Amino acid sequence: MAEIAIGIDLGTSNSCVAVARGKRVEVLPNAYGEHVTASVVHFAESGSVGVGNAARAALIHDPRHTVASAKRLIGRYSFSEEVKKARAVYSYEIVDGPGHSVRVRIRNELFSLPEIAAMVLKEMKLVAETRLGRPVTQAVITVPAYFNDNQRQATKDAGRIAGLEVLRLLNEPTAAALAYGFGRGLTQRVAVYDLGGGTFDISILEIGQDVFEVLATCGDTYLGGDDFDDRVIDLLADAFVAKHGVNVRKDPFALEKLKFAAENAKRALSVDDEAEIRIPEIAKSPEGVPLTLEHKLGAREFAALVGDLVQRTFKVCDEALGQAGLVPRDLDGVILVGGPTRLPLVRQAVETYFGQPAKTDVDPDQVVAMGAAIHASTLIGGGTQDAFLLDVTPLSLRIGVAGGLAETVIERNTPVPIEQTRSFTTYQDDQEAVKIRVYQGESRKAEENELLGQFEFGGLDKRPRGHARIDVTFAINSDGLVNVTARDRETGRQASTAITLSSGLSAQELDSIVAEKRTDRVVSEPAPSAVPAPAAQTSGELEVLDDADLDSLLEADAESLDDIGAGVVTPLGDDLGVELGAPAEEKLFESGDFDLSSEDTQDPSQG
Amino acid sequence: MAALTPAEVRALASLVDELDYYQLLEIAREAPASAVKRAYYAVSRRLHPDANRDLAAPDRETLEAVACRVSEAYQVLRDGRRRKAYDAQLAAGAGGRMQLAEAEAQAEKQALDHHMGRTPNGRRFFNLARGDIDRGNLVAAARNLRTALTFEPDNAYFRKKLDDVSAAQRAAAQRR
Repeated sequence: MAEIAIGIDLGTSNSCVAVARGKRVEVLPNAYGEHVTASVVHFAESGSVGVGNAARAALIHDPRHTVASAKRLIGRYSFSEEVKKARAVYSYEIVDGPGHSVRVRIRNELFSLPEIAAMVLKEMKLVAETRLGRPVTQAVITVPAYFNDNQRQATKDAGRIAGLEVLRLLNEPTAAALAYGFGRGLTQRVAVYDLGGGTFDISILEIGQDVFEVLATCGDTYLGGDDFDDRVIDLLADAFVAKHGVNVRKDPFALEKLKFAAENAKRALSVDDEAEIRIPEIAKSPEGVPLTLEHKLGAREFAALVGDLVQRTFKVCDEALGQAGLVPRDLDGVILVGGPTRLPLVRQAVETYFGQPAKTDVDPDQVVAMGAAIHASTLIGGGTQDAFLLDVTPLSLRIGVAGGLAETVIERNTPVPIEQTRSFTTYQDDQEAVKIRVYQGESRKAEENELLGQFEFGGLDKRPRGHARIDVTFAINSDGLVNVTARDRETGRQASTAITLSSGLSAQELDSIVAEKRTDRVVSEPAPSAVPAPAAQTSGELEVLDDADLDSLLEADAESLDDIGAGVVTPLGDDLGVELGAPAEEKLFESGDFDLSSEDTQDPSQG
Repeated sequence: MAALTPAEVRALASLVDELDYYQLLEIAREAPASAVKRAYYAVSRRLHPDANRDLAAPDRETLEAVACRVSEAYQVLRDGRRRKAYDAQLAAGAGGRMQLAEAEAQAEKQALDHHMGRTPNGRRFFNLARGDIDRGNLVAAARNLRTALTFEPDNAYFRKKLDDVSAAQRAAAQRR
């Protein structure tokens, strides 16, 4: 059987999985026929773990055992702002782990963030295996371009815990550009404006036929659609206090209802001018009378609420264009990625900023997974046409020096892979060790950057100060992962560390977590009988056809028509792990090749 | 795309320290800026680890080291300032490798030299103008900058300073 590798967009709010074969890319729907699956993990009392929309519903009735937006916490230190905020906003219990790491406590069991993410990945793996009718072990997983090394390492660990060989961590905007330009022989400069649930990225790329070169990437990992929701929640809660004197934020159940309502209102505003919010019996008055929250949120009111957040993204765009040495009119296209870009408010602002209409031929929710799938297939050599990625490191790599400063070793937006060497010496006589601190960020002040890790290079011969020579080599590989090696020039002795950051998992921890197989508890729910299982091939296909392709496809389609008549069934949960015969599998792929845009893409739940 | 053989990878790795960035990217020293990008694409297509997935792990690691050097070469040569600094290093016979931070520092230093002026007279009048600016004598500063510009008409930094001073003069005139 030919090798197969999938692409997974592991999102803050939703995740998506796709597969590419040759020039054909398709998004694989879950058992409900949805192209995206909520990145929410619910721990049931029975011990089983559910991921997806059912888990999302559990946020309302069982918030303490339901983890949402874990991506905002992955690879963060427990003292970081994001984690502090999460403690206030989420009902599940967030506790400190070893080395300032973050753990989630559910029914007295501790889970690391990579494990939680692994459960979402596991679900996506199951979705793919169900649709493809065969085991899948290799994947390209996307990450926000602006993720630092800690966050990347944690995501890679998550992949391993989920039983996946991570072929590459691919930057989300790069993936989107790949899906947009793949096989089209374009020569263009494009901007990818990627506003996700929890992060914002902007990448400027130059596409030259099959080469995709990232010129610059900037971002903000503290800005996303969730923040839009928070503004709406605040508005509603404040209005409720003013009217009824009751603070609904204090009740976790009411707060979850409020979050849902805010999110739905935001989605409604993607299509309508006004969203009607109504939550009956959200609270009781001091006299015990049930109270209903009602609010009409107009597009204009919403714009006033979140306008500054949208403007914040353009500061980042200015930076990226500056780094690429370009102005908006140098660009041939603007690609929108992420649910919040469906908001007319966002779209219009982006089009004004770049002075051109945004490309609408890509689905903002699916394009990243599709790009990941294309890259996955290229990496295992299954692509009929190679797409070649030349990416950059989004953050400057720095080393701590005297005076609390951090000196740049590798400037941001340097192409990867890259390796740089710096020499250090001792500042005291007979000094036997040097301590090396590695940071990522754009500040001269060490403390304002993210500490990736520190290590001590010891065992130096006793020499007067300034005589020892320690060469420290900093490498960033194609995954954007950092590796640091130190070498004593005199003795040739070497010490190396993939910087094991204090916020992640140690190698031993990771091994024991992998061995524990807690992700095996993830059970894919079978589709409810009311929802017919869709054919495996649906919308979300991105096809590039030339005449020869078209001919072969027409032939394939003629065959597949027979299959439909013969009633080829899409394998569902029960068939998991059972390999279908190869012919059925092939046909499964081809029977709907021309179903380019079905109405499911309009599903408002994907907003 | 023809992948490299393990023998080719090892040969390349042993050679990489001998090559200067132009040789690595296979372009002439006087190649125009536009050729640098083309060369980077072409060489990457051949040498990038992604294009050579079939190699055994140790060979791929070796190749990754070569790819790192290609990135470095591109990062230095793609930027006119850094390329100039690198050319100076080559001309001085100081080796074919330049750390990126070093290239940037040298480029900054050159830019500073440029700011200060390249000709003795340009530098002299520019320094006089700086003294005038410190004392708040904008009229004298403008005159000295104009004189400095007659010695170095293409010095963009002098020109910018003169524009700044003129703008400050106009603003001062408006306040009165």
